[in-house]
Amino acid sequence: MEKTKKALSPSERSYFDRVHTWGRIWTVGALLMLLSVPTLICLHLGVWPPAKDVFQALKTVIPIYWGTAVVEVLTYTPMLGAGGTYQSFVTGNITNLKLPCGLNAMENAGVKANTEEGEVISTIAIGVSAITTTLIIAVGVLLFAPLLGVITQPGNAFEPAFTYVLPALFGALGAGYFRKHWKISVFPILVGVAVLLFAPTLPVGTLLFITIVASLGGTLLMLKLKWI
Amino acid sequence: MVRALSVAADFKEDGVMYAIAAFVVCFVIAESLFFIRKAWKQGKKLGISEEKLKNTVFSSALFTVAPAISILTTVIVLASALGLVLPWIRLSVIGNLAYETVATESMLGVFGSTLSTEITDPAQFGAVAWVMTIGTCFALVLLPITCKSIQKKIGGAVHKSETSSRSADALSAAAFIGVIAAFVARAVGGRIAADKITVGDAGVMSVCTLVTAIVVSLLLETLCVKLNLKKLQPFAMPLSMFAAMGMAMLLTAVLPDKVAQLTWWG
Repeated sequence: MEKTKKALSPSERSYFDRVHTWGRIWTVGALLMLLSVPTLICLHLGVWPPAKDVFQALKTVIPIYWGTAVVEVLTYTPMLGAGGTYQSFVTGNITNLKLPCGLNAMENAGVKANTEEGEVISTIAIGVSAITTTLIIAVGVLLFAPLLGVITQPGNAFEPAFTYVLPALFGALGAGYFRKHWKISVFPILVGVAVLLFAPTLPVGTLLFITIVASLGGTLLMLKLKWI
Repeated sequence: MVRALSVAADFKEDGVMYAIAAFVVCFVIAESLFFIRKAWKQGKKLGISEEKLKNTVFSSALFTVAPAISILTTVIVLASALGLVLPWIRLSVIGNLAYETVATESMLGVFGSTLSTEITDPAQFGAVAWVMTIGTCFALVLLPITCKSIQKKIGGAVHKSETSSRSADALSAAAFIGVIAAFVARAVGGRIAADKITVGDAGVMSVCTLVTAIVVSLLLETLCVKLNLKKLQPFAMPLSMFAAMGMAMLLTAVLPDKVAQLTWWG
């Protein structure tokens, strides 16, 4: 009996499998593109910084950022969906933009994360968000740089709007969840506030980990006690 | 001497730097367009209505405007030391203000300089670009290796627990609420940094902005349901965010400085 394992054609593979293949290719491409930036800058300027100086600076930077990267990949990947994850980690600004944008789109469309429908909606939302951000930054830099300096200057009327953009964003995003799931919401917020009372400058990455664990733990307990 | 100084100041924003930035921008847009196209086709296959897909596009674009302008302002913050183009590149890929500031300060610290002074030495500029890049690229190394297995494990757990869909719904909502709770807690009791500058710390303004966003969002949601305004529904969230930002501006203008600047940690 012939026991050869036939390779699946692209159409036979699941959508998720194909997204992972595309995502891996784009991520490796993005990594090469990223590394090409300092390489091109150094080639263009005809300078190569001493490796020992760069390593000395990296000794401070790597323990913070590489550790954070591990936590971020573990935390965000399940929420963003595969397509959303691959795009978000290339374009950055995940906590303050890509994640809430994906969550909002899935909520509006009435679909859940980790379903094929959720995957589609989150991928489109994060893709649109990445393009919009990239274009706004590009247009802003090219056309409005002098004006932007004025808008964001301390004391300008617009300044408070941008200083408090995160409470505005997460208040608006959270309202619907708080109304629907108020029993689940109270505990992680209280835990977050309590932690900040003792460590007010705690980095947001660490605080996120604590509130997510509190939220999931509290919910599991309430399910067990049949409170929800 | 004058020419030497102007060349030194210009290298950060010359034509080649703009060409590198254009290359990065094109890459980011191409990737996003690729994924949007594939997801759109799949959405149609799954029977998701064209209207729902279009609403996702419009509401996501609108949602992004204010935070994107906020990101743009960080380009300006970094521009005084690094010129406009390198912060533009960095904020278009992976970067955010906190990452870039720490990376730049760490590298400049080695050279005995700081972010508050303009970089005029090309070698220092190149070194900063390397530290920014290497410091933040680790997630891109991890993703191709781990993303699929993380998704499979989580997906498997969700599908297993779908035998009890009530639990699955609650746990799925709990994960999202955990994210939102962190930022709500920061608005209620957080502090940006342990220094004398209190702007952005939790206080009267952060709490008022947060409460306005929640109240306007709930009002708009209720309005949409009661008056059956289906087209307004996807925009309720971005509109609430803009309303709250407007409230922050209004309160700063009308409240006495002592009240508007009151923070819990001041």
